[in-house]
Amino acid sequence: MSKEKVSSIPGFPLEGVRAIELSEIWAGPFCGTLLADMGAELLKVESVQRIARGPVNPPKRSGAYPNGDPGERPWNRQSNFNAMNRNKKGITLDLKTDAGVETFLDLTSTADIIFCNYARSVMEDFGLGYEELKKTKPDIIFMLMPGYGNTGPYRDYRSMGMAIDAISGHSFLRGYPDLDHSTNSLVHHPDAAAAVNAVFALTTALIYRGRTGKGQFIDMSQAESFMTHMGEIFLEYQIRSKPRERQGNRDFHYAPQGVYPCKGDDNWIAISVVTEAHWKSFIRCIPLPNLRDGKFSSVKSRIANHDELDLTIEKWTSDRDRYEVMDTLQSSGIPSGVVLNCGPDTYGDPHLNEREFFQIVDHPDAGIFPMTGPVLKFQSNSGVVLHNPSPCLGQHNDYVLGDILGYTQEKMDDLASDNVIGTVPLPGSDLGGSRRASMEPVHRESMSQQTNIDPNTNDSKED
Amino acid sequence: MALFLDLAKLTEGADAIDNGQILNLGVMPTVPYEALDGYLVIDLSDRLAGSFCAKTLGLYGSEVVKIEPLEGDPLRKLDHTEDETDESDSPLFLHLNVGKKSLTLNLDTAEGKEILGILLQKADILVETFIPGKLASVGFSYEGIAKHNPGLIMTSITPFGQTGPYKEFKYTELTVFAMSGAMHREGLPERYPLRYGAEVAQYYAGNSAAAATTSAIFRRLKTNVGDWIDISIQECMAGHPHQIGRRAPFIYSGELDPRTQPRVSAAGAREPYAVGTFRCRDGHVSFLPLGPRMWPNIARMIGREDLMYDSRFNDPDKRSFNRKALEDIFQSWLDKRTREEIFIEVQKAGVPGSPILRSDEVMENEQFESRGFFTEVDHPTSGTLKYTGDPFRLTAVPYKKLMPAPTVGQQTNQVLKDHLQLSSEDIASLKEKGIV
Repeated sequence: MSKEKVSSIPGFPLEGVRAIELSEIWAGPFCGTLLADMGAELLKVESVQRIARGPVNPPKRSGAYPNGDPGERPWNRQSNFNAMNRNKKGITLDLKTDAGVETFLDLTSTADIIFCNYARSVMEDFGLGYEELKKTKPDIIFMLMPGYGNTGPYRDYRSMGMAIDAISGHSFLRGYPDLDHSTNSLVHHPDAAAAVNAVFALTTALIYRGRTGKGQFIDMSQAESFMTHMGEIFLEYQIRSKPRERQGNRDFHYAPQGVYPCKGDDNWIAISVVTEAHWKSFIRCIPLPNLRDGKFSSVKSRIANHDELDLTIEKWTSDRDRYEVMDTLQSSGIPSGVVLNCGPDTYGDPHLNEREFFQIVDHPDAGIFPMTGPVLKFQSNSGVVLHNPSPCLGQHNDYVLGDILGYTQEKMDDLASDNVIGTVPLPGSDLGGSRRASMEPVHRESMSQQTNIDPNTNDSKED
Repeated sequence: MALFLDLAKLTEGADAIDNGQILNLGVMPTVPYEALDGYLVIDLSDRLAGSFCAKTLGLYGSEVVKIEPLEGDPLRKLDHTEDETDESDSPLFLHLNVGKKSLTLNLDTAEGKEILGILLQKADILVETFIPGKLASVGFSYEGIAKHNPGLIMTSITPFGQTGPYKEFKYTELTVFAMSGAMHREGLPERYPLRYGAEVAQYYAGNSAAAATTSAIFRRLKTNVGDWIDISIQECMAGHPHQIGRRAPFIYSGELDPRTQPRVSAAGAREPYAVGTFRCRDGHVSFLPLGPRMWPNIARMIGREDLMYDSRFNDPDKRSFNRKALEDIFQSWLDKRTREEIFIEVQKAGVPGSPILRSDEVMENEQFESRGFFTEVDHPTSGTLKYTGDPFRLTAVPYKKLMPAPTVGQQTNQVLKDHLQLSSEDIASLKEKGIV
């Protein structure tokens, strides 16, 4: 009954691949986004019983929504979700029901890849462990990517990017060296590291399947995948018998390096003087006599007198335009860069614009906005940037169940009336977490009922 | 730290039988698999991102030939600013070049270029990091190479990509991170913006490049056609979830995302009390309880269920208003406990939280130990050290031993014999002429 049709884009590297995503927030979803950017048909499975698209009843005004307005269907207008799920198709399935599991297995038989960033046991609890999936599709590639991997004492621990940042040793290296770690921000970078590693893992498994016919289970630990990005720090500890300490914006090997204020409000320039040649050019660019002082003449002395050197450089940068400083230094071959903010600076950056970093996207519920596009660029499809809007909740139920699985309208109506599928969140589906501050103080009518949630009910999210 | 919550279910050894799933998991040496066996990668990269991309392709079974100048990759001597006589390789070099073969080659000579040309005809993947246009100017444009080897995948990794006004800009981790949008919001509002703690932007881009490369290989299985991949470190970081998640509110509603007090900003200010990094008895712990549904979990965790009925704290607005008072109560609970004790409590309570570990503590952590993540490798001059293992485990693929980073030109003879079928005399003559 399956039509086995994959509607992906010709010419893209992952054309013809169908992947099923069960993931929330960042690590899993961004893996799905990258696969979809490269042409895979990415089916994102959500449910109307559990909404991870911001609050179901957000404040009346919130900057997380187009023009500050959550609108009739906030779950289709939430900024983080809509930024993070481009190029996917969205379906809903209640995997706590037999009909939901049956539908999922039907879909499995048409899929190449299934991946999940929930806690390790979630798929098993649905009755959708690797052994089950393999019975349906022997060469399926199945990846579970919990925070700490699928074995070991932490295998059932819940985690988020910031938790992995802490336990991997990265948080220890962040922050102002003269302040306590309690001033550290929370960084979820390990989610992104896990996402790209997940794409690497899945595509490597696709190659292996292409050459041998074999699918497999992939065991990914988000923590380990990120720790490979800090390998030298662990070696350094063993060689020097001394763990690395924080260095702020500086570098152990050369000086000066830092971020210096420029003209205007909260404007900054990052400068690195790495080599002696850079230093010679630098003191030509900045004609201040005290830079020629003997105490700055060698790397060693510049590192020793870094604070004083910084004050001198600051004096020069602080009444200059940040782009002008960058141009001056770059034209002398000195590494430097304007500290761009995520909003207007990035949107206004001439380089990113020339490289078509943003695309105008027309989202059915959120409207027309320029959104961040794919970053992996292939000459074989230059000129074609794949950027379809993130799916609305259950938007592609008809396509997936009808066109791919060949379900009758009657069957789909039954599934809808049993809430196995749907397009509107059910009562109690709100996870309640907001990741954005509201634009103004608001009354939160729905809050009191949310705090009644059984405290023993753990969030099974892993991201 | 010894943190067992679930000792009984600890898997033992490979082929663990786990909830009915028979998986080839458990304690096994984290060494390279042979998924990409038979692919030849030419690593012409300098610095971090390209070298890491090539390394990861090697971890999964590709043959990676690193081409070095006769005097060796400058990264080898990264730490030698003070001691010029030091002959050991830097930790960064050792990490980035695990499993690679080293071929020294003088690319300023005609013969050197000819050898590279022959290798590129045989290669499956070329990883390169030259300033855009440089490789073409010495005779190795993508089109030129592809004419002889249409299946070649050329992965170019540069700070700003192959096109655009910044394409020739010089960079360091700090300056490219600054231009990605990630830095401006990091740090305290009254101070200068901060970068992250390691070289993460370059690693992230190198890892993205590896994923794009394997995607291109997958396509080649069906089409026999290669590709040229253009990876910009700036774009990888600017297109990273942290940045796109924060850029969207700006474009949707004009909401800016300035540096704010980390404790206030972290959770979108919805439940801003047990959020951020806190001191405890023996270090620091980070927390991020998302939303009001976490409140009862936290009250129970700190043994203060009474706070749920306290008129200062019984709704989210009041908890926000009385944040300081609540934080003081929370802090006094933390002050009495170690990171290890707190990590157990947060897992029981279902509150996202995690201890901040130093690199030496990470290496002793029993989760990573139980999975055999750190792998011992013998290196001829650096001795036996524990290296980070593979970032994911392919359970159906055989694995082999992890080889150390090469010494300068260590496999020059082998590569020239294997791939160019040169005789020992040919090689001796090339050495004499200063070509290899």
